[in-house]
Amino acid sequence: MSRVFVTGLGFISSIGNDEDTVVDNLRNLKHGIELFEPLQVPESPVKLAAPVKDFDVESYDPEDWVYPAKYKLRRETLRSFSPHVLYAYCSMKQAIESANLEPSDVSNIDTGIYTASAGSSRFLHKSLEKMYNRGIMRCNPLNIVSSVAGTVSFNLVSNFQIQGVSTGFASACASSGHALGFAFEEIRRGKQKRMFVVGAEDCNFDSIVPFAVMRALSLSTDPDSAARPFDKNRQGFVSSGGGVTMVLESEDEVARRGATVYGEIIGWGQASDGYNVAISHPDGRGLQNAMKLALKDAELALDNIGYLNAHAPSTPIGDLSEVIAMKEVFGPNTSPMISSTKALTGHGLSLSSLLESSICMVAYKHGFVPGSANIDELMQEAEGLNIIRKSIEERPEYIMSNSSGFGGANISLIFRSCQS
Amino acid sequence: MNSGIEIETVAVAPLSEDEREELADSLKRCTEETREAAFQFRETGQLILLPVIILGIIERFLEPEIRPKLREGDGSLKLIDDLGIDSLTMMEIIVLVEESLDLSIDNEELRDLRTLDDVRIFLDAKIRNIPVPEKNKHFSVEAILAAIPHHVPFLFLNEVSLGKDEAIGSYTISGLEDFLKGHFPENPVFPASIMLEALGQLAVFYLVTTHASDSGQSVDPKKIFFTGCEAVRCQRMCVPGETLTLSIKPRGFRYPIAKFEGKITVNGETAAWAEDISLTFDWTSDSDNSV
Repeated sequence: MSRVFVTGLGFISSIGNDEDTVVDNLRNLKHGIELFEPLQVPESPVKLAAPVKDFDVESYDPEDWVYPAKYKLRRETLRSFSPHVLYAYCSMKQAIESANLEPSDVSNIDTGIYTASAGSSRFLHKSLEKMYNRGIMRCNPLNIVSSVAGTVSFNLVSNFQIQGVSTGFASACASSGHALGFAFEEIRRGKQKRMFVVGAEDCNFDSIVPFAVMRALSLSTDPDSAARPFDKNRQGFVSSGGGVTMVLESEDEVARRGATVYGEIIGWGQASDGYNVAISHPDGRGLQNAMKLALKDAELALDNIGYLNAHAPSTPIGDLSEVIAMKEVFGPNTSPMISSTKALTGHGLSLSSLLESSICMVAYKHGFVPGSANIDELMQEAEGLNIIRKSIEERPEYIMSNSSGFGGANISLIFRSCQS
Repeated sequence: MNSGIEIETVAVAPLSEDEREELADSLKRCTEETREAAFQFRETGQLILLPVIILGIIERFLEPEIRPKLREGDGSLKLIDDLGIDSLTMMEIIVLVEESLDLSIDNEELRDLRTLDDVRIFLDAKIRNIPVPEKNKHFSVEAILAAIPHHVPFLFLNEVSLGKDEAIGSYTISGLEDFLKGHFPENPVFPASIMLEALGQLAVFYLVTTHASDSGQSVDPKKIFFTGCEAVRCQRMCVPGETLTLSIKPRGFRYPIAKFEGKITVNGETAAWAEDISLTFDWTSDSDNSV
């Protein structure tokens, strides 16, 4: 069994498109939420989102897109992208640079990629609309590969000439947690030496508004208070998008390359609620089991966990079931520090689990624990849990990160600091 | 005043206001000239506008650094090798051409389009609603090896394009040919005798690929032999790195003799020609199989 280390990160997120900006925003609890222009139409009941900055990918035509010049892409590459694929691509470029990988480190049979995205409903919708209006043979031949779930894998594998394992995961808001967990297994079991894990989501009218009818979104118009996990008056989540890439490497590769590590992944657990298609189990049954299995996998005791980055999206039901699950697992006296960084980042759906795991990695590197923003009045049920409302300059040794997705898919991941 | 020149036209369905807007949007990354030509074509059906539209659409899909090639090159530019158009880009081009010219093109029809001329000729026929002129068939080195008895290191054809009354082959002198060590030391020159041999191989390929007896017997590749040649002229030295373009034309088949004329050019310059290259041949027979 090989140990597995995180050696590179790339962020295209609502709270920054580089590590330093992300760290600064997390430390100082600065959020990325705004009155999102495409939602400022009467028919949209939701007005807020946490979009990526410095990218304009609203057009259906990738050749119109505006994005940072350093990522300049050729038409032939862009033509099979939907918006979140561009985010993913840029985050992967950044992660490769962050890990200091040579092209030969990226393209070989021992290096694979696992991705997570729900596809682009906007591009799928637009292409079908064109198909119905103008005829089947008048569509872009690359419509399918640019829009269906899996598009991140198709595009990144080809553009970065990945030769190892590759596939995509689709478990809604747990997707990138699954991608990360299974990538960890590939290296732990010696099947791959290096894995890229990528999570990405669009952030546009079509990706956000369908959640409104589920009553899952915050309808607030105040960017400074809308996302408030663990607050008594939380109303729903604020949608986000972006792309995040994490580079995992085996112990041998880290030694061979003399790589700098952010942290180590030491275990994970996954379990399902077996309960409802969209509502989490009232007692967080699946999440409890996922956390217990993760602790067992990492061979840790309860009180080892110093910080828990919660899934808590700021929905009335979701936060409550996680609170109950955390209390059940950690008991009354061994609560780690807990926060939900979705108060700052918004909820990036497929992207969120990997974004939060990456946040744990920069927390290790920069020696802080991000606080849980926007709690005016803590939900009563959370009494007894150590939910921290401000960022704390500490470096816990062990961190846990939770994620839950539709259908009651739950993931818990455990990391270890490599700095003393 | 009427110029007296008749401009050929085809019947076209005029664009509605909405369609015009859609087409303008689809062509928004083409030049103004291309867009205007497309609109004019959909009004008048003037065939003279086709090259502008087709080149304009192809140009739109090329990377900027490739575009000058299209402007400067002629119809023999190869879509894949010269312009870097992959099959997906070809699909994008076709979708936009279909929309601009109001045509439908089947996948089958695309298979043999290799050069700009192929595309132009194909679309011209398509829009006139006449059969597409039969195009030369292309053979790779593998296909050549399967057809004729010659083999490396004595095969002097890299590829062959077979037309109705001619075969065109090419051979790039690699410099690694063993005989160049002696012809001449420190000064490799492709021998004239081998040029004649290369034309002979092309003639053999033509013969076995196209010829058959009245009763349907095919030519047996193992029974073809060179018998003579009336005249050969060599006008240019050919050296490693150069590509010989070989062409032969049949000059009469009368069992058991087939006659050809042949020519070799390098970059358009005549390197050699030969008159009355004669081969003897025989048909495959059933008894061959029973031996």
